[in-house]
Amino acid sequence: MSDQTHMNGEHDIAPGDEEQHSVGERIVGYVVGLGLALLLTATSFFIAGTDLVWQPSIPVALIVLAIAQMGVHLVFFLHITTGPDNTNNVLALAFGLLVVFLVVGGTVWIMGHLNQNMPPMDQFIRMHS
Amino acid sequence: MPAGRTVEGTMLGKLDWSAIPFEQPIPLIAGGVVLVGILAVLIWVVVKGHLPYLWHEWITSVDHKRIGVMYILLASVMLLRGGSDAIMMRIQQAIAYQSQGYLPPEHYNQIFSAHGTIMIFFVAMPFVIGLMNLIVPLQLGVRDVAFPTLNSVGFWLTATGALLVNLSLVIGEFARTGWLAFPPLSELSYSPGVGVDYYAWSLQISGVGTLVAGVNLVTTVLKLRTKGMNYLRMPMFCWTTLASNLLIVAAFPILTATLAMLLLDRYLGFHFFTNEAGGNVMMFMNLIWAWGHPEVYILVLPAFGIFSEVVSTFSGKALFGYRSMVLATMAICVIAFMVWLHHFFTMGAGPDVNAIFGIASMIIAVPTGVKIYNWLFTMYGGRIRFTTPMLWAVGFMVTFIIGGLTGVLVAVPPADFMLHNSMFLVAHFHNVIIGGVLFGAFAGFEYWFPKAFGFRLDERWGKLAFWFTFTGFYVTFVPLYVAGMLGMTRRLQHYDVAEWRPWMIVAAIGMAVLSIGVICQIMQLVVSIRNREALRDRTGDPWDGRSLEWATSSPPPVFNFAFHPDVRGEDAYWDMKLSAQQQSLDHEEPEYHDIEMPRNSPTGFVCAFFATIMGFALIWHIWWMVILGGIGAFATFVVFAWRDHDEYVIPAAEVAAIDRVNLEERRNLVSMAGAI
Amino acid sequence: MAMTATIGRAHADPHHIGLVVEHPGPAPKRTVTAYGFWVFLLSDIVMFSCFFAAYAVLVSQTADGPKGSEIFEQRNVAIETVCLLLSSFTCGMASIAADVRNRFWFYLGMAVTCLLGVIFLVIEFREFADLVSRGYGPSRSAFLTAFFSLVGCHGLHVSAGVLWLLTMMAQVFAKGFRADVLRRMMCFALFWHALDIIWVGVFSVVYLLGSGV
Ligand code: HEM
Ligand SMILES: [Cu+2]
Repeated sequence: MSDQTHMNGEHDIAPGDEEQHSVGERIVGYVVGLGLALLLTATSFFIAGTDLVWQPSIPVALIVLAIAQMGVHLVFFLHITTGPDNTNNVLALAFGLLVVFLVVGGTVWIMGHLNQNMPPMDQFIRMHS
Repeated sequence: MPAGRTVEGTMLGKLDWSAIPFEQPIPLIAGGVVLVGILAVLIWVVVKGHLPYLWHEWITSVDHKRIGVMYILLASVMLLRGGSDAIMMRIQQAIAYQSQGYLPPEHYNQIFSAHGTIMIFFVAMPFVIGLMNLIVPLQLGVRDVAFPTLNSVGFWLTATGALLVNLSLVIGEFARTGWLAFPPLSELSYSPGVGVDYYAWSLQISGVGTLVAGVNLVTTVLKLRTKGMNYLRMPMFCWTTLASNLLIVAAFPILTATLAMLLLDRYLGFHFFTNEAGGNVMMFMNLIWAWGHPEVYILVLPAFGIFSEVVSTFSGKALFGYRSMVLATMAICVIAFMVWLHHFFTMGAGPDVNAIFGIASMIIAVPTGVKIYNWLFTMYGGRIRFTTPMLWAVGFMVTFIIGGLTGVLVAVPPADFMLHNSMFLVAHFHNVIIGGVLFGAFAGFEYWFPKAFGFRLDERWGKLAFWFTFTGFYVTFVPLYVAGMLGMTRRLQHYDVAEWRPWMIVAAIGMAVLSIGVICQIMQLVVSIRNREALRDRTGDPWDGRSLEWATSSPPPVFNFAFHPDVRGEDAYWDMKLSAQQQSLDHEEPEYHDIEMPRNSPTGFVCAFFATIMGFALIWHIWWMVILGGIGAFATFVVFAWRDHDEYVIPAAEVAAIDRVNLEERRNLVSMAGAI
Repeated sequence: MAMTATIGRAHADPHHIGLVVEHPGPAPKRTVTAYGFWVFLLSDIVMFSCFFAAYAVLVSQTADGPKGSEIFEQRNVAIETVCLLLSSFTCGMASIAADVRNRFWFYLGMAVTCLLGVIFLVIEFREFADLVSRGYGPSRSAFLTAFFSLVGCHGLHVSAGVLWLLTMMAQVFAKGFRADVLRRMMCFALFWHALDIIWVGVFSVVYLLGSGV
């Protein structure tokens, strides 16, 4: 959509709705999404089981692949794009992701430090017995 | 064991006659009195033939104004219950010096747990959600919220939670774990009774209700605004509503997940937070506070919004620094998620983690400070009217600054190692929650009451209520700061330290003063209802307001506005009044149209009915009843989805008739103002 | 000050300088409903994130029980994943069919989606039953607690999705492609796709990363 319509104050489209496309184009979109998703999944499973790559890089690679695949799903299946009529949907998503990141990252970080300084009870007992 | 007992035992799970606390007269009598009261009201309603009215106009109503009023009513009733708990605790601590006082430990522990739970979840939350429901659609210039029926579901689920908590008074017991049920104390091995289950299931059920309310209000603010109501023209209260509900949507699922984990531990022998098999109690603190800190801002942000409206109206000026206010609100909304560790500095995460969260906690005080300055500058040079809402606002500013400062103090980790879990902490959070949230709720109540009911509240009793509450608050909580400094920890059922005693007595006296404040508030309501004709607000604009809720009649018609107002700037209604005065008045009759409104629906009430059954059955392990409740709830949803007509039409003629009256009053108002 | 209200940005103009994009008024119902549901989904994802966090914290707490690498079967997980990915695709097809009001393709798409969902659930259920029968139930260790909860929570969502899917088909059957039915269909599609996204997290973090622990 052009800036022109936005100037007139058009609404955002509904999350999940696509901008106007023909049925054929829409099906192609899903096919491409499915193809990419399958490809990324296959790569993940392959990397996890292989000895061909440097082992310490595997976790990072898996996380990167997972994030990429989530992106593919968001764009091709949920049609969340960066278009101007999608601002609100993207903002909500960004806020949600920020919170997810803070909660997961914060928990792992905090609990890591807590475990180090104050080991859980059974470890504690093992250490002192 | 006789055979009969066993059958009964299995049919009703853990429930039998020993659940009724015959040996504890206080809760039993209290519960009995409440029960008799409820029954009396019910009988009165039925005998007088009010039941159809109640059912059609309130219980099944999906009108956001009605739902808002019911939320506030729930909060007010629960405030009395939580307040009684507070009085009992203050008396206990005043007399339990080198003695057991009058409350045995297991009872005292239930009281402080119930007090915190009720005050946060069933007083503060419903009060602010009720005010948001009541006012935000009016301020946005629209006819309803985004999801009217779900809105009703949300309210009734909240009420279910409140009902279950109060049921624990007479059937079984309540948690003895404090308002956040920390494990391992809350695990099955240390709390084998049903107390924690009452706690957890009522919060799970009301939590769903809160989430629904949050989704509804976020969508309402972002997607339903009248023409021309751009983001930066929304009244401050709408902004803080948006921020607060974004926090609800993002934080309440954390509470749900955490309580679900605790319940899994208790019901199915999982090991999230147990001492055995690798469970980790510290993870509970971590997760619950990841919800808990955002929660305090969920509560206080709407209060900030209310004060912004009140201060600007009664200073006769536009809000100073509107954009910085918006920015501060949204900043708080994000930073609220970055400070939760300050609730467990002492658990040993180490200096670097503590330092970072300490600094973040101090940073969040900055936007809060910005807001205080903005309110002061709004008042500066204004023509201030010290009405009751304005008194609450000014009282808030003074009190909240103190609470914020002590907050920053405990956010310094080394200081917190001294003050953590002391009475100082208790004083801090009451300082911000009473001085911030409750004063805000009262200000909003006084300010918007005429809008909801069509008549103003008595100013004399209102001011009395303010001064007693304000004084009572300081007399109660300043001693707690002192006692904390003297080393007194929180949640003591009795103590042997002589220096603490005088402060506890002063605090109990303060509690008495606070109670007089509450009585004044009740008197204000009674007197105002009696004098309602004299206090009638015919214009819809009793305070010379600035935002759109004052542009319609008091109380507003179901459809709020005959036409969607067309907004041209900030302070939309103020602009309209100004331009109307300049242009004289156009006397042309506008062309009215039919209005479609959502139809009433018993979905919320029926859902809550099944939720109550299911919650009760889960608490008492009555599995067949759980399944019954679950099927009922699912069936309700399908029936709701199957409805064919969920809207009805108000014909244009009726809209015109209603609106003409309103317009006439308004013309008189403006021409009178013009004459002055 | 005027700088803040630039052309093409939907911001207000409190100082009446004229370059304002006027807000057009309340959004259409379809947008409102879907947006509300979108917000709900985000909150659901936050809830999942807590279970992910708990898994990350507890994954090494095996209490002398089995480790992830000893109990996970990559082949099963791969089949489950393919089922869900395909079902996302067929769900998309059903959405398109609903938009163009083609009953046949709608029913077909939904039926296949349902079938794939059920296959997924059966595989997951058998995995769980097998673990429990070997004494590796959720109360065996904190690791297994976290594993069962996270994966089970996703499984519960899929089950709810299947129930919802069936009521959607029934609604189209009884009421046709009415506006409100289409709105619900849209929410359902969002829900189903979101579950798939969460599954990407589950198989990556739980099964693939978890095998390495
Ligand atoms: C100015 C910003 C604030 C800061 C820096 C702050 C800081 C803190 C800190 C560090 C604690 C933990 C102390 C301890 O446990 O030892 C605390 C507790 C608490 N604060 Fe605040 N606070 C602030 C504002 C607020 C507000 C606005 C509210 C509520 C509306 C609030 C409610 C609470 C509650 C309920 C607790 C204690 C809960 C418990 O342990 O049971 N605080 N605050
Ligand atoms: Cu905090």
